[in-house]
Amino acid sequence: MATAIPAIACLGVIGRNNNPLHTTILPTTTDPQTGRLAPLRTPLQFSLLLSSTLDIFESRARHAVASNTLLSGDFGLLHAVDDRLAAYGFETNTGVKFVAVVDMRGRILSGVGGKPAAGAGGGVSSPGGGVGAAGTGGAAASGTGPSSVVGAVGLRDGELKVVFRAMQTAYVRLLQNPFYDPEEGAKAGQLQQKRITSRRFAEEMRRIGDKWVPGGVNTL
Amino acid sequence: MDDYPTGNLDHNAPLLVVSGLGTGATKPMLVDPDLKEHGILIRSELPPIDGREAKTILHYIQEADATNWPWNASETTKKYRFKIKTVGRELLLPPRRARLPEDYEVPPSPPVLHSPFSPLSPGSTLYPDGLIDARWIEKHQELIPSICLCFYNLTSDPSLATLHDNRLKTDINAVKHALQQSGHRCRLAVVILSDQAPGAMEPFQERLEHIRRGTGLDPKTSLFVLPTKRSEAELEAAADSVLSSVFTQATEYYRDLGRRTRKKKGRGVAPQPTIPPTSGTSHTLSLQGWNVRYDFKAAVFAEFRQDMEAAVRSYEQAYESLFGTDVLETVPSWSPRFNDGRLLADVIAVRILRCLLWTGQSTAAVRRWQAHRYKLSDFLDQRGRGTQNYGWQAWESRWAEVMARLVEKAAFPELEPSGLTLFRAPEKALSAERLQPWEMLHHPGYWYRIAARHTLDRRKLAYSIPEDDRRPPDPSAKRMTVNIYNSYDTYMCPEPYEEYPLAGQGTDHAQKALTHLNLAIGEFLKRRQKRLAVEVALESAVELERIGAWKQLLEFLTPVWRAMSFRSESWWNLTEALSWILRKAAAQSGQADLVIAIDWELMNSRYTRRPQWQYDMNRALEGVEVEETPEVSLNDDAVTSFLESSFVFKHGEGRAGQTCPAQLAITSKAFSGSAPVVLGEIHVEFEGSLRALHLKHESSPKPMNSEPRGMIVTSPSLTETNLEIDTAPDDDVEEASSSHVTVLEGHDDITIAAGQTRVFELDVPLREAGEGKATSVRVKLAPEAFTLNYTMKLREDHSTEVWYVAPAKRRVTRANPLVIKVLPRPPKMEVKFVNVLKQYYAGEPIHIEVQLLNEEDVEANTRLDVHLYGQDVPHFKAHAENGSEDLNSAGEGEEAKLDGLVIGTIEASKSAKATIIINPINRPTAYDLTIKAWYTLSTDPGTHIVQIVAFQLNIVNPFEASYDLVPRLHSEPWPSVFDHEAVRELDENDGSLSRPRGLAQKWCLITRFGSFATEDLRVVDFDLQVKGTQGGVVCSASKNQTLPEEGILMAPKTMEEARFDVVAQKLSLDDRNPSTADLEFMIRWRRTSADPASAPNATPFLLDPFYVTVAEPRVLASVYYSVASSPSSPKSSTPSTPSLSAAAPQIIILDITIENPSSHFLTFGLTMEPSDEFAFSGAKTTSLNVLPVARRTVTYRLLPVVEGGSWINPQITVRDKYFQKVLKIIPTEGMKREGENILIWVPGQGEGGDDDDDEEQERTEE
Repeated sequence: MATAIPAIACLGVIGRNNNPLHTTILPTTTDPQTGRLAPLRTPLQFSLLLSSTLDIFESRARHAVASNTLLSGDFGLLHAVDDRLAAYGFETNTGVKFVAVVDMRGRILSGVGGKPAAGAGGGVSSPGGGVGAAGTGGAAASGTGPSSVVGAVGLRDGELKVVFRAMQTAYVRLLQNPFYDPEEGAKAGQLQQKRITSRRFAEEMRRIGDKWVPGGVNTL
Repeated sequence: MDDYPTGNLDHNAPLLVVSGLGTGATKPMLVDPDLKEHGILIRSELPPIDGREAKTILHYIQEADATNWPWNASETTKKYRFKIKTVGRELLLPPRRARLPEDYEVPPSPPVLHSPFSPLSPGSTLYPDGLIDARWIEKHQELIPSICLCFYNLTSDPSLATLHDNRLKTDINAVKHALQQSGHRCRLAVVILSDQAPGAMEPFQERLEHIRRGTGLDPKTSLFVLPTKRSEAELEAAADSVLSSVFTQATEYYRDLGRRTRKKKGRGVAPQPTIPPTSGTSHTLSLQGWNVRYDFKAAVFAEFRQDMEAAVRSYEQAYESLFGTDVLETVPSWSPRFNDGRLLADVIAVRILRCLLWTGQSTAAVRRWQAHRYKLSDFLDQRGRGTQNYGWQAWESRWAEVMARLVEKAAFPELEPSGLTLFRAPEKALSAERLQPWEMLHHPGYWYRIAARHTLDRRKLAYSIPEDDRRPPDPSAKRMTVNIYNSYDTYMCPEPYEEYPLAGQGTDHAQKALTHLNLAIGEFLKRRQKRLAVEVALESAVELERIGAWKQLLEFLTPVWRAMSFRSESWWNLTEALSWILRKAAAQSGQADLVIAIDWELMNSRYTRRPQWQYDMNRALEGVEVEETPEVSLNDDAVTSFLESSFVFKHGEGRAGQTCPAQLAITSKAFSGSAPVVLGEIHVEFEGSLRALHLKHESSPKPMNSEPRGMIVTSPSLTETNLEIDTAPDDDVEEASSSHVTVLEGHDDITIAAGQTRVFELDVPLREAGEGKATSVRVKLAPEAFTLNYTMKLREDHSTEVWYVAPAKRRVTRANPLVIKVLPRPPKMEVKFVNVLKQYYAGEPIHIEVQLLNEEDVEANTRLDVHLYGQDVPHFKAHAENGSEDLNSAGEGEEAKLDGLVIGTIEASKSAKATIIINPINRPTAYDLTIKAWYTLSTDPGTHIVQIVAFQLNIVNPFEASYDLVPRLHSEPWPSVFDHEAVRELDENDGSLSRPRGLAQKWCLITRFGSFATEDLRVVDFDLQVKGTQGGVVCSASKNQTLPEEGILMAPKTMEEARFDVVAQKLSLDDRNPSTADLEFMIRWRRTSADPASAPNATPFLLDPFYVTVAEPRVLASVYYSVASSPSSPKSSTPSTPSLSAAAPQIIILDITIENPSSHFLTFGLTMEPSDEFAFSGAKTTSLNVLPVARRTVTYRLLPVVEGGSWINPQITVRDKYFQKVLKIIPTEGMKREGENILIWVPGQGEGGDDDDDEEQERTEE
């Protein structure tokens, strides 16, 4: 009996001018052919997903300006693209945005090694697999009512704060590097905006993504 | 949602049949021919009501139809919710009981008949083991009204009243009876319309009461009286209240039905069908099945009552029983009842969802949606055909779409497009739970997108159907092959050979997906999620690409491609994903411009290299069908490129006529290995005073690509070329009117390989002064197949502001190296003022000569602009030396100017002259004279060079003067009143006014003027003019001295004196008022250097008004000298001093003249004090009477006892005896005053003129 819990599928850092600075994609599913861990979506799809959150950042910022509410930085849930993936956002006061895409069934807690792959896996194109995972939960819950059918663990809005805090710390550390200029080439109208190339930063992102579990209270 | 049978999923509202209003044709409610045949007809005999009021009421009632209302409880303005049908006077109800089949043998005991919609009736489609179907819902929603609302008219004609009322009663009773007979429990409500006003209903109360009693209707619930004589709004309010009370009845009706259903369920037995089934499995509906049916019915009735909570409970029960034991699990998956059951499960689930949404439980709804999905997939995996088939995906897609539609219909205010949120916060009860993000109800766009995704999955599975199954079945072998399809779920979707046939068109998955995607895009765009919309658009594009709908794809994607934010926000992978799809479409449909633009953009190495792709602009159009050579214009706002350009001036300043080195650098960031681009032309456009720069390609024999990744610096030379405007329509020419534009043209080999930087070092000639700024670089690519113009803006803070010095580069430290400040060309024309006088004076015309000395190397064509600035500038004229005519200045006030005085061509190192003559100015002032010499050199006629010289013109007064007017004794006697002859003369000449007859007084104006000039001036003449008089006086002035012929030469700062006699005579003797005269003193002078023949300059001085006649008495002293024995005095050789021979003692005769111009008789006392200085004869003390308008003279003869050549001081007092006032004695010629006394000069030995400092001293009168 496997339980799926949320895991981070992708972490994105987006610059002040809405330019992508960094993307880390983490495997949260299993390739049905090879049985290896694989990302849920292609890098292109994750790029699109990150870019689509900018709409929401913009709209909330507009609203904040209109209603004169001070933003705390944590945007909470931006949107859920489907029943598996949801994007959470954070904006620093310099306009750099952190986005965490969470796969709600990204991690299988199970004693059986091979079985959960079939449960949580299947990828986007074959919800049969996805349904399979729910099916096991659903069978047990069929008598108790609709809410327990999914069986997966939900999320509260603040649970990603630790992720964003860790990302911000990593970003601040990156900024402290005198050789990194966040504004390089980011002047008005210039089309060549630099991405973050620091390997240390990338490793840190990956570590954050791997380490996060919902409900965790420890600093990442 | 449209896939489900009509009415299955719709919200149920009580059916209200409105009868008797309007005569218009109505749609029959019962259309099923079988039911119609056995239908129960309810009819009323009375004619329907017609008329305006009836129409208004009918219209209002029809408006209240709730069919299209949103599915939520927010419609609070109305207390009721009806589905409304209008019929005439007839209503056809479906039969209560089904009939037996015709071929059925009637058994001995009469069979129990059931409703035609029940699975018990052999005629029903559900017979013998179906659960429930849409027809049952239709029966209640469409056929059997809860309320039959009949409208009748109440006649107001008293004579017909009884008859009508009776007929009314009969009819109502008949209808009521018929309804009861029908077996349905429809309720009857009657509305009686009266054409009276509401207040005038009193007389009818008895009749109405009569009707009520006769029909047994309750006036509160089923009998309504509606006086129609009132305003429409009131009428509507009345109709509204009728509907409200009727709604309570309708709710009761459905509660009754629900109660009945529960009673049936409570029996706990499965009813037996009318006839036991004989065919098939003879399986009948189990008790559990009946329970599902009863629960479902109860739920629907609850929904009719708008009691959503009760409905959810019943639905959930039905749902659970359906999947519980002995209902669906007993049905084999091949049986049509299996799919019927699934349909029922869907219907129940949808209805539950709607009820949840209705009550605002959006998160519960999402959970329920998920739960049904899981439940069904689980169920299918266990009992059905599994979920790995296209049928399941078709259902998944439908299921997502259903949710989208439900959310749309529920119309949550939080999810309105204008709102901010994309999803709805969970309801309170759940907000504390750990929720799945998806459980926040998102707006329909997300749901449509999921629907589309499942459609694509459906296609994937459909495409994996083996060929055998895709072949249409042999009709003859139909029975046999049925089981083959066992593995395909065909619930609400076609058989495999129709889904994806071997030949012909199957299901159009792409179209289905596109429909959903477009709906999703619409929803996203409505909420300003433009990036997400583009993302979905990309999914659509992939679909369109797959089906090859190139044209559609182009139309759809081109605007997206143009406007996408990915490019400006550096999402390169997204940009390229979109671009490649669009390129394919463009290439397929021959859109050459798009192909070129996209190829141009994708050459940049920041994109991922496409394997096997030939990156070569020259071959961009290979395989694209093009009709004519396309010409494409792009700019870097719209499309990025692999070329980067920069332009740098080496210096920030330059002078016109010189050149400034500049560098144009073009860097290619194309993929390495891509073909080098050959730029046909490079244009650099400038803003300001610089000319456009054109660099043209000229293939050089030796290849340039010696350094493939390096930098090549070349310096092509530039020449100025005139271009016809027509040949360069894109150029930003500075003036539209000129047909030529001069550009700088250079030639070089402009081939740029990938990774190369080409630097063109150019010497830009600077022509005009001003600021020049490089604005854009346009490159033109012209292979054989097409022409591409690409414009790159030069941005001010470009990161590539570097000056290339092969092999390195250094950063330009200047703030903005795109800008050069062109200073004017230093003019080499010397403009000099020649013959400038030291000082210019008021009153003289000013001549200024200008000399222009051409110090250029070539001849200069010159003209002058002369400007004079100052206050009240005078006119001036100017002419050139070579005899050109005078030009007059224009303008006055602050500025006068004269433009374009043609000087003509001045040879090199020759000079020319011009003269400016400024009209005389009458006051001291200062002017600025500016002379602009414009010239062009014969070698460069296009460039104007300006030399500006300013000259300050200070104008001062040459003289200043002061004035003194002293009285003199008029020599003529005053007219005497005792002289009758003179009086007569006066009378005779009465008519002529020319001769003044009043008193005359004489004055002497002494003018002292000093020269303020800086040089000697020659005063030629001076003059005093009477400019005007006030007070009836005639005044004349005359010079009483003569000037030397050559005038007086006045050195600077010297004084001269001029004296004038002024004689004033009153016009009338009677007029004794004092009068004044305005005098003008004029000095005529010329410079010593001036031509003596030339007209002298005149400097006028306007004097303040002087009193020239006085009305008060005055005492004038005059003196003359008698020579006792000596010869008469030589007539003043020096006019200023009296000179007498001093040999003899002389007698000084002093006359004291008292003038009395007043009309009073005055008496004066005269006292002469004895003195040591002289002896005198005359009255020592005397009294003198002076008549009005008369004068008297007292003469003293003085013999001075002092040495000659000194002043004596006779002490004479004249006292007005009446007023006791001492009169001042006014000295005249040859005397002066000292305090109150007069002094008389005693002439000495002919040297008496020495001490005539500034006192009155005058030669004696003749």
